[in-house]
Amino acid sequence: MAFDISTLDLDAIERREAAKHKGSTLKLFAAIGFALLWIVPFYFLAISIFKSSNEYSRNPPLALPEGIAPLWDNVTRAWELGSMGQAMMNSAFYGTVGASLAVFFAAMAAFAITRLDIPFRNGWFMLIFAGTVFPFQMYLIPLFFGYQKLGLLNSHMGMLLFYTAICVPFPTLVLRNFMSGLSREMDEAARMDGANEFTVFFRIILPNTIGPMTAVFLLQFTWIWNDMLFSTVLGNRLETRSIMNALLVFQGSYSSIGPNIVLTAALLASLPSIVLFFLLRRHFMQGLQVQQS
Amino acid sequence: MDRAAKDKALLDRIGIDQIARNARARRRGQLGLALVFMSPALILVVGVLLVPVLFNIWLSFTKWKKFTGFGEYAGFANYERMPGNPFFNEALINTAIWVGASVVFPIALGLGMAMFFRNLRGAETFKNIIFIPRILAPTAVGVLWFYVYAPDGLLNRGLGLVSGRDVDIGWLYSDATVTPAIIATFVWQTAGLVMVLLLLGLAAIPKDPIEAAHIDGANRWQIFRYITLPLLMPTLLMVTILSVLAGFTVFDLLWVMGANYPGQRSLALAVFMYFEAFQKGSWAFGSAVAVIIGLVVLCVTWVQTVLQGRVDRMTR
Amino acid sequence: MKIKEKLLGTAVGVMLAAAPAFAQEVQLFHDKGFWSEQLQSVGDAAAETTGVTITEIPYANAEQYKAFVQASIASGETPDMFTWWTGATFAELVSSGQIAPLDDLWDEMINSGGYGEASKELFVVDGQTYAVPLLLARWVVLYNKPLYAELGLEEPKTWDELMSNADAIVAAGETPFLATVHEGWRGFIWFQELMLRMHPEAYNGLNDGSVAYDGQEVRAVFEAWSDMYAKGYFSDPRSTEEFNDYVRGAGAMYLIGEWAAGLVVQAGVPADDLGVFIMPNAIDDAPAAVIVEGSPLVVSVDGAQDENVMKALRFWVSDEGANAWGDATGNYIGNNSAEAPNAIVAEVNADIAETSATAYLRWWEAVPPDLQGELVAEMNRFMLDPTMKTADDVMATMQTLNAAYWADQ
Repeated sequence: MAFDISTLDLDAIERREAAKHKGSTLKLFAAIGFALLWIVPFYFLAISIFKSSNEYSRNPPLALPEGIAPLWDNVTRAWELGSMGQAMMNSAFYGTVGASLAVFFAAMAAFAITRLDIPFRNGWFMLIFAGTVFPFQMYLIPLFFGYQKLGLLNSHMGMLLFYTAICVPFPTLVLRNFMSGLSREMDEAARMDGANEFTVFFRIILPNTIGPMTAVFLLQFTWIWNDMLFSTVLGNRLETRSIMNALLVFQGSYSSIGPNIVLTAALLASLPSIVLFFLLRRHFMQGLQVQQS
Repeated sequence: MDRAAKDKALLDRIGIDQIARNARARRRGQLGLALVFMSPALILVVGVLLVPVLFNIWLSFTKWKKFTGFGEYAGFANYERMPGNPFFNEALINTAIWVGASVVFPIALGLGMAMFFRNLRGAETFKNIIFIPRILAPTAVGVLWFYVYAPDGLLNRGLGLVSGRDVDIGWLYSDATVTPAIIATFVWQTAGLVMVLLLLGLAAIPKDPIEAAHIDGANRWQIFRYITLPLLMPTLLMVTILSVLAGFTVFDLLWVMGANYPGQRSLALAVFMYFEAFQKGSWAFGSAVAVIIGLVVLCVTWVQTVLQGRVDRMTR
Repeated sequence: MKIKEKLLGTAVGVMLAAAPAFAQEVQLFHDKGFWSEQLQSVGDAAAETTGVTITEIPYANAEQYKAFVQASIASGETPDMFTWWTGATFAELVSSGQIAPLDDLWDEMINSGGYGEASKELFVVDGQTYAVPLLLARWVVLYNKPLYAELGLEEPKTWDELMSNADAIVAAGETPFLATVHEGWRGFIWFQELMLRMHPEAYNGLNDGSVAYDGQEVRAVFEAWSDMYAKGYFSDPRSTEEFNDYVRGAGAMYLIGEWAAGLVVQAGVPADDLGVFIMPNAIDDAPAAVIVEGSPLVVSVDGAQDENVMKALRFWVSDEGANAWGDATGNYIGNNSAEAPNAIVAEVNADIAETSATAYLRWWEAVPPDLQGELVAEMNRFMLDPTMKTADDVMATMQTLNAAYWADQ
């Protein structure tokens, strides 16, 4: 499209640009205001852990703490009252081992579904994926009674078994999608050289799938770490309960501890997932992308 | 047809048969191998997830006797009891409110923020801030907001400062405010994820049609309404379904934040089911409620599949 | 990989550490997490005296615990030794046939002179006794002695005196009674007490379906209760720190089980500042009465065959056992040849001996278990909005549930 430059109203363009700029400054201020409002509860959390019970009830909730001394007392009391050390160990165990096993099993299944020549390819996948269709409420009662019968209730093995199983279907979906996009030339070449399917899986497919596997591992680890419901039902004993379940104790048994301690416990329980998020932000976002596909 | 041709046809047929047989044999061989690869996933999913679901469905048709166990077939008795239970009805209404709210608020807010922050300076920082609540576990978020809503908590003190009067609202204690208050917390936690997912969707939209429309003199609303929105539809649909399912099955927040609310059992179907089974010991009735929850989730998933198909055809 | 292996190693270590397997050990399952350490100290004392360690296994939440025990019994895995509740839910438990009768042990206990027949009654079902007390708590009013002294008040002997004390406390700018809905179970406390003090004849009838929750007796209770709220007698029901609230002086009088005395002292009230009285009757000529909570400790039929379990149980009811438990918590189990665990218990013992007060079962235990949670939630609802309008609604809902339950029986 050709046009005569003299028909352009340069002044008007300049005015429009200026307005746009002013608009964007306004927008920026609005955005800052909005973001501040959004993180007020966080700020409240962050300062409350520095307050003693007395200070908490005496001063306004958003007042800066008078010092940082009460922090240590809050942490130790929360840690001891909730037996949080044990709970953190438990959750770390369920999270790392459970999510690792689940992602590995999912990769194996995805390999069979995408790379081997089998009948009912989609049927096998749907069978595994069916594990994501039902709401958690449908698992609770049968698992509780089944675990009771098998002696798995309140055992680390029982908890690990459930967490591994619940974390299999979603990674299977993601890894199936990813693996079906991988080029077949490499594994064909390896097969020509006499490699069997196990070698193909371990030497060729797995190393190429590390990226998405890490992403889904992080998602599943976080899910296990954050789970409160199943730990309450299946592992509600001091030795087996998860970190989120330990957090619930503060709402019940100890009616003589203040909000400052409970909030400290909440922050302690969240700390690992916050740290993980900031260290591995890229992988998390990648995980979100695969969650979308 | 002469004899040679007949022989050739025969040979061809044998050859074809042979090839097919070989393929079938190979497939059988690979099926065995594939089962080895799939067995851990299959055993876990079937044994720990799918069999319990069937068991739950069976339980919902039985009668539970305390300290004795399940067994007696009860037909639809557990289901027939539901409409007469006042707490079930309240839970149903509240769940409907949750579903409605989780369609409207996270999506509207997430979309609004996505459009707003998209081309802003420092968009990354804002995105991170809005996303932060999502990193916390719902249990921890519930604990935090429990104290935000406390009678002498952050919100009442804040309102007090603004209005200049003492504010003493028991947000989590009264019928009128408890569900909206917890929904607000839910939106605070989930809107960030919705926004990020929508931003990913927006980034995938091609620029050309927008620029073309711009040159054709379309205003921003028209561009949004007739170009961006339709192209964003698949993402929007997916996010909406995620949000509905999250809102429908919300439990942790209600459990923590509703702990002191007398009507906690009727805050949602998921909570009602938990109370009936794990607190009252009405296991069979509780499993029937779980089946109802499962049916609704299946319906939502089915609607999603249908809509997805329609959207795919539209955008193709 | 290295890190993963290390974590795995740690995890295996955790699991091994979490699987205790001592030869002479008896496990005691309970839902009283706040007494975990104290129970264990009794368990350790048992090891020193008898050679059998009692290992306490706490459950974080009472309802979860019930679910666990019910499911255990249904699948034939009844725990050897565990705690339960008295009343209707106790009869239910016994009807499972898995709980051992302990009449022989009770004969020993009563012959030794420490225990009275009255404490045994709480655990009798169809003529046999199925438990020993984990705890026996009378429901009393703890009060702020310094405030009473400052205002020149006396322990009330009549309902009118109680009310005039309350008025004096309101006039002094303080709140007479501490009562909250914290943890969801506390709603019945004032309801049961007002019911007993105003209509003792209807108290037991509530729990067998013969008295309606929207009848005139219950209505009178709600009217009195609502009136007391209107006069500013009660503290903010929304508190989540009841014991701390007492320490801070949020209420001058605290209607609660004796067991709370230890917890309040632990939270910071000097033991000397704590006074106690039994709530007076609101009608003339009613016999002296007190509400009693008995927490049973039961053994399974299989457990009763195990010598170690019975050794542990004998230690529990012995003077040494009662003293260890009393020292650790201030709890009383009905053993009068042991030392009274604290001054509060001693005073209540003396009061009851003097007035020969009749023991009434706590509403919480007496109510049919299927109704317990739903009814108490309704009472909480009233406390949060103590108007007669809410009371009407609460009474109607309670009676609907109550009637439906008894129609089913």
